[in-house]
Amino acid sequence: MLHYVTINIDGADIKAPKGSSVLEVAIEYGICIPHLCHVPGLSDIGACRLCIVENVTNGRAAVTTSCTLKVQEGIALMSNTDRIKKLRQNIAELLVAQAPNSRAIQDIAVRCGVKEVRYPFRNSDCVLCGRCVRACSELWHANALGFIGRGKERHVERPLNMREEFCKGCDYCIQLCPMTITPCDGPMRPGEEYLCGKCESQLMITEDVPESCVWCRLGEGFNCGRYAGLKAVR
Amino acid sequence: MPRLSTKEDLEIIGKQLLLDRQKVNKILIICGGTGCKVSKSQDVIDALNKELLMQEMDSEVHMRVTGCHGFCEQGPIAVIEPGNIFYCHITPDDAHDIVTKTLKNGEIIEGLLYTDPVSGGKVPKESEIPFYEAQDRQLLFQNREVNPRSIEDYIAIGGFSALAKAIGSLAPEEIIRDIKMSGLRGRGGGGFATGRKWAECREAPSDEKYVICNADEGDPGAYMDRCLLEGNPFLVLEGMMIGAYAIGATKGYIYVRNEYPLAVKHARLAVQQARKLGILGEDILGSSFSFDVEVARGGGAFVCGESTALMASLEGKVGEPRPKDVHTVIDGLWHKPTTLNNVETWANVPSIILNGVNWFASKGTKGSKGTKILALTGRIKNTGLVEVAMGTTIRHIVFDIGGGATNGKAIKAVQTGGPSGGCLPVDKFDLPVDFDVLYEAGSMVGSGGMVVMDESSCMVDVAKYFLTFLQDESCGMCVPCRLGTDRMLEIITDITEGRGTSEQIDLLEELADTVTQTSLCGLGKTAANPVLSTLRYFRDEYEAHIKNKECPAGVCKVLIEYSMDPEKCTGCGICKRACIHGAISGEKKEVHLIDSELCQKCGICRSECKFEAIQVS
Repeated sequence: MLHYVTINIDGADIKAPKGSSVLEVAIEYGICIPHLCHVPGLSDIGACRLCIVENVTNGRAAVTTSCTLKVQEGIALMSNTDRIKKLRQNIAELLVAQAPNSRAIQDIAVRCGVKEVRYPFRNSDCVLCGRCVRACSELWHANALGFIGRGKERHVERPLNMREEFCKGCDYCIQLCPMTITPCDGPMRPGEEYLCGKCESQLMITEDVPESCVWCRLGEGFNCGRYAGLKAVR
Repeated sequence: MPRLSTKEDLEIIGKQLLLDRQKVNKILIICGGTGCKVSKSQDVIDALNKELLMQEMDSEVHMRVTGCHGFCEQGPIAVIEPGNIFYCHITPDDAHDIVTKTLKNGEIIEGLLYTDPVSGGKVPKESEIPFYEAQDRQLLFQNREVNPRSIEDYIAIGGFSALAKAIGSLAPEEIIRDIKMSGLRGRGGGGFATGRKWAECREAPSDEKYVICNADEGDPGAYMDRCLLEGNPFLVLEGMMIGAYAIGATKGYIYVRNEYPLAVKHARLAVQQARKLGILGEDILGSSFSFDVEVARGGGAFVCGESTALMASLEGKVGEPRPKDVHTVIDGLWHKPTTLNNVETWANVPSIILNGVNWFASKGTKGSKGTKILALTGRIKNTGLVEVAMGTTIRHIVFDIGGGATNGKAIKAVQTGGPSGGCLPVDKFDLPVDFDVLYEAGSMVGSGGMVVMDESSCMVDVAKYFLTFLQDESCGMCVPCRLGTDRMLEIITDITEGRGTSEQIDLLEELADTVTQTSLCGLGKTAANPVLSTLRYFRDEYEAHIKNKECPAGVCKVLIEYSMDPEKCTGCGICKRACIHGAISGEKKEVHLIDSELCQKCGICRSECKFEAIQVS
């Protein structure tokens, strides 16, 4: 039998199954917390930091990622305060400046309210969200992908850079990769990157009801927890 | 030596060893720590050994090769007892004189004595050297009493008696209460209350618990932990054992980075010797307490000093941090409750148990008790390891212990707390070394690094240096730390190369704030501190770089130009010979010229010129 605890997100008391994460519960209840590295059914590592919320205890608010925070009786969280919005916007700006050539990242930038990018674009083809790595090792136990290197050098690679035979050819890494769908106007050439922002009409809907999921199309591109349908796989 | 099966055994053996040692009345203490080893102390030790044998003095003189004494700049150093004679900068050629003159006849060799840079006079006694006199050496002092390769030495000076007291007559709760009341706070950087950590770990339900000693010290210029683990590994071990007894752990790990080979060696040796004596193992000293320690080597990643990354590394995984929503005292190594403390924190424990809570709490300030070891480096006369009571002002450390600036330049700032700390300007030098006060001021005590900078340091360049370090050492897992430090470095590089704009300063501040608030682990959360603190106190330097396109300290290469002062140049030709780029031309005894096209602004000519004729503008 499932045990339930009561948590509070943005003022609403919610019954949440014990052992689940705050982000899972929020998505279940239609509270839109932007996220990228979280995939239902996979472990959470808190890498993208987009799903940050304020965890309010004794009047003090600590910023933490909701995907790694397990529900506990009585915890109170704020997912959409000015502070969180600003931080989230800055993180999304870093991401879109790094990898503008992805519809998922562009969508996230719009969703998080990025209006301009103040850094030079880089056109990298990986944001190290680690979805592929975790799917490969946790869902299929293939371990054909992993992280190599530290800091700026960190990248996704096959074991020892060469062991291709580990791959079972499931294609899951490609399906989950946020970089595989190009922006609506097609790929951007190096030096010609820009902040797309065409989906802002979608944002209008989310802004009217910021705390609830309106099944906006922004989430489609990167397999938002709502769209993923991955639970069937699990 | 026999196995010690009760605490009375320990007392008897301790007394016996002390008596044995008192039979030899002449002691020659030589530092064999890494700092002195670099100044070739091993050659000196070999030469002295040979000389003692040749003069047949080896039975009269007890030569003790110890760990670091702290005054590394003067190495190799030796202290001769009785007499407290302090010799520095010893070479193997001095061995003959030291043995025949000082050890045989008690003469003092003038040439080997320490010269006080302030007064210019010779100081014969160790205790009278201003560098030592101004300190409060509770932990470091023990280094000179102990040969780190000999557990007998440690037992002879009363070692492990705190352990015997703890497991013999104190309940675990009493120890935790004592540690809580003493006000001991973590010495590794966070400054978390040690007693509270232990209490939470004790209360966590589990069949197995662990203690870990974090010796993965990686701050540039800091080496307090290395010095303690190299010089007195038994002290750290004893602290860990008391902690393990208090929280109920049966297994401990010393995680030490592999770049500290001597520390690894000494820690392993200490564990082996303790096991042999029965101090580690089953039913220690006749009690029901069992405990063992393993020494694990780290690969040298800075991030592995972060507790969760360290535990991941110990488990054999990639050294990456994980979120700490559940603290490691509840869910730590192998998901068991784990108490992780820094080397210096563990080393403080035995004296608290032995000397009492009030003794420890009598030193320091309201919120920070005891003493702290600091690695004092930079543009000052006396560099090395210093130990002061908490609450000592930065001014006292920099000017009284450090002896003030070298070359008569004005001191501008001090960088405390390593890469995660901040820079404090001279007008903040009256602040005490105190966890809370320094945090308020935008810096931190951190692990205890203290880099003093004078007017020839550019603060933007300093921020750039630390950012480069952190960006390189970031594990790269989370976005704010990986991309945030990278972008901050990009902006700062723009500023130091004359492409900066005023808007970039605002962006830098905003980004620094985001990185601080949203990063996954402690590395990212503090990565912006060098930027934030320099922006807070040295904003004028940033503005000079941006608005006037000049570097006031003459460091940032793109913004400076080297030129010759025709009034001062004597035409000696030294600069011309020194310049590796062939940028200086001129006939002998005539004013030389610098070709700005060829000049690479390396600064060699400037450091070679005896007449200060080369200007930077």
